Amino acid sequence: MTTVAETKDPSPRSIGHGLPLACFAAVAFATPFLLSGNRYLAFVAGVTMIHILWASGMNLLYGYTGLMPLMFAGLAGISAYMVVGLTAAGWSFWLALPVGALAASIAGTILGLPSLRLKGFYFTLCSLVIQTVVTLAFVYFSGLTNGDTGISQIPLPSFAGTPLSGLAYDLVLAASAVIGVVILMVIVQSTLGRRLIAIREDDELAGMLGINVTGYKMIAFFIGSLFAGIGGALYAPYIGFISPRSFDVLISMNIWLMVAFGGRGTIWGPVIGAVLLAPLSFLLQEYYTVKDVLYGLLIIVVIVAMPGGIAGGFKRKRREAAAPVDVAASRRSVK
Amino acid sequence: MSDVNLIILLSTISTGLILGSIFALVAVGVTIVYGSIWMPNAANGQFFVLAALLGWTMTVSWGIHPAIAALLVIGISVPLSYALEYVLVRRFYDVPNRNISYFVLSLGITQILTGIFSFTYGRWSDQFQLPPLVGGITFVGPLPVANNRLVVLALALAILASLFALLRYHRYGRAIRAVFQNRDAAALRGVNVKASYSLSFALGNAVIFAGGILFALAYSFDLTVAWTMSITAFAIMIIGGPGSVLGALIVGMVFGFTQAAVSTVASPTIAAFSYLGAMLLILLFKPSGLFAR
Amino acid sequence: MKDILLDVKAVSKRFGGVAALKGIDLIQHRGETLGMIGPNGSGKTTFVNVISGHTKPNAGSVSFDGHSLSGSNPFQIAKSGLTRTYQAVRVFGELTVRENVATALVDARDAASPDAVAEIADWLRISHRFDARAGSLTLMEQRQVELLMRLVQKPKLMMLDEPVGGLSSAEVRIMIGVLSELKGRCTIFVIEHTMKVIRELADKVVVLMAGEKLAEGPPAQILSDQRVIDQYLGTADA
Repeated sequence: MTTVAETKDPSPRSIGHGLPLACFAAVAFATPFLLSGNRYLAFVAGVTMIHILWASGMNLLYGYTGLMPLMFAGLAGISAYMVVGLTAAGWSFWLALPVGALAASIAGTILGLPSLRLKGFYFTLCSLVIQTVVTLAFVYFSGLTNGDTGISQIPLPSFAGTPLSGLAYDLVLAASAVIGVVILMVIVQSTLGRRLIAIREDDELAGMLGINVTGYKMIAFFIGSLFAGIGGALYAPYIGFISPRSFDVLISMNIWLMVAFGGRGTIWGPVIGAVLLAPLSFLLQEYYTVKDVLYGLLIIVVIVAMPGGIAGGFKRKRREAAAPVDVAASRRSVK
Repeated sequence: MSDVNLIILLSTISTGLILGSIFALVAVGVTIVYGSIWMPNAANGQFFVLAALLGWTMTVSWGIHPAIAALLVIGISVPLSYALEYVLVRRFYDVPNRNISYFVLSLGITQILTGIFSFTYGRWSDQFQLPPLVGGITFVGPLPVANNRLVVLALALAILASLFALLRYHRYGRAIRAVFQNRDAAALRGVNVKASYSLSFALGNAVIFAGGILFALAYSFDLTVAWTMSITAFAIMIIGGPGSVLGALIVGMVFGFTQAAVSTVASPTIAAFSYLGAMLLILLFKPSGLFAR
Repeated sequence: MKDILLDVKAVSKRFGGVAALKGIDLIQHRGETLGMIGPNGSGKTTFVNVISGHTKPNAGSVSFDGHSLSGSNPFQIAKSGLTRTYQAVRVFGELTVRENVATALVDARDAASPDAVAEIADWLRISHRFDARAGSLTLMEQRQVELLMRLVQKPKLMMLDEPVGGLSSAEVRIMIGVLSELKGRCTIFVIEHTMKVIRELADKVVVLMAGEKLAEGPPAQILSDQRVIDQYLGTADA
């Protein structure tokens, strides 16, 4: 018989074969060249790359660890504002990026602490409150963020003294998306991934098997927030404009939707979700209200009809949130 | 005390009372729905603004008298609630941990309504103002108060009082409360649980709509009120204790006064920070709320 | 037999105003199978929860294999070689048996080698279900997976909370066989309502009654003790 310890793949649905990765990388790196004739479409593709990175980070938290952090966009915002501030103060973008991303990671780890006490709906609500506070803070501390007006005309970074061309930056974005997916794949197939999945499925049982639930939840938040932060840092100079609205709760919901719609807890589902949904914001820019309605409808469809997302298929009626029991219920059962 | 200070004090009190009673209305509506069907309705702020906008359309565009418009708006909420309950809410009654599904569902509804509002009613910065219910001004000590706002306050308090009486003394109210406490036990005692679910959903939303139209009658508003109201109502519900009508009432009033007082001395943002901070603390250290059932 | 494995001193636990455990003392030696019986609500599961770190006691101390467990988290206690099962069977239902076992190996104190895992799985007669989703297994199979997940961690002490609960009488017989062989693999602490299990497995029996230790001794003596019969066996499935 095959032995247990040899099998590496935690779940058949999340196996990352080399072939899809190679295809994805090829498409990601080819797209900027193919679209180089049309700056607008190339731009939409670039934004999609950032969303793939974000969706992969959200997937680590929501899909693999079972936490639904609606402050995800806020974390991206923390990094974006920091990087813009630091580069305006004369820092190199390439130095500001890791600093901003690390700041988002640390913030995310701290703001994720409530997840140690709160489960299910209560943590999600808590993260929503945190997201709202972060958005309010972006508006309130206008000395740093220029408030609701936002910061515009953020330049593209330079490399070795010369400003990057649009094509070069598109390639940077493609690389970040590919690296993000690769890192997620590596994590998922490692023992870290196995621990996170165990925490998602039943955190009490995971602890009983010797898994340090607290520690690994924090590690998940650190890594997931790093994805948010890197995406935020790359986003600001690409769009050239950031405001509190760029990182508000709707954006968090949109990133969550990409994961849930594509298929939580699979490597490629959220990538597909991002590819399908991220361009909508830009292609429908003239009809932004249509986009809101469409996203809202999709959220409802996901919840009502396809809890597994596209990758999970329509048929498998897994309860939303294999998420553990919420606090109120578990308190009741203690008595 | 100088006249100026007295006027500031009185105006803070009157604003606090009106805001507090409207906050309490919305929070009671949210808590009735959460207490009975476990649906944390994040779209409550959108429902609130929907009521206000419908009232604006009826009075300003169609020239209907505000009193009739208010009744119509509250009336409309009932078929809307039943339709929503029938199409979406009903599906989850037997799902374990359905509150998170409901929460996400209501965020979806939030996004849809946000889109519809900005499509039909323009950009976020537009201000909407309804004609007053009654004209004239009454002096409360040295402070002039619009009769319109006094009427709104009286109506809000009257609705709160009758709601409280309904839940406490009436047969339907007792059925709803029985289901609040224990769905299975209530079913055994012959309460029609499903019917009481749809009833509470409709009742809770009607109360939120009433809050929205009363707010619109007292103050001018813009579309950003929706999200602020959603978060405020959640904060009130969590602090007061999810499912506790009394808690929603008391904390709602406290929030109204806090908002009025803090807005006088500092900015509304500070008021929002303070609620959210209070809510986080309660979530972390006493998630059953201050007035747990 | 003089080697003390689990040493519980004056453990008390209150939930609100209700005392669930009132100053329980208990000693279990290495290799000695200890059975705990008592009516529903007598505090048996609370006792296991306190030992495994899921519930913090209000007073008293627990030491395991010479080390104090006070203030330890469940995962630290698990890593020290004390493992448990739950009254309601608990496996990662969405994962396959193979993944369940792999998860148990990740942070094991002393992870079994692949050959050892295969040997235990064969012994439990569950090898043929390795690729099935754990949630799709029968209750008996899930109980076997549960034991497998514990055993691959090479625990020193396994606390079983009603291991035959919900099983058919044929399955109970098989499970008693499994458990009596299990005694050769690690020390066992077992909570059980089914007297047959206690009678056949336990070297020593502790009777819990309303959070207090009512009696303690060899099964033959305890099961004929008049107080135990009056208080418990008379009303239960004697």
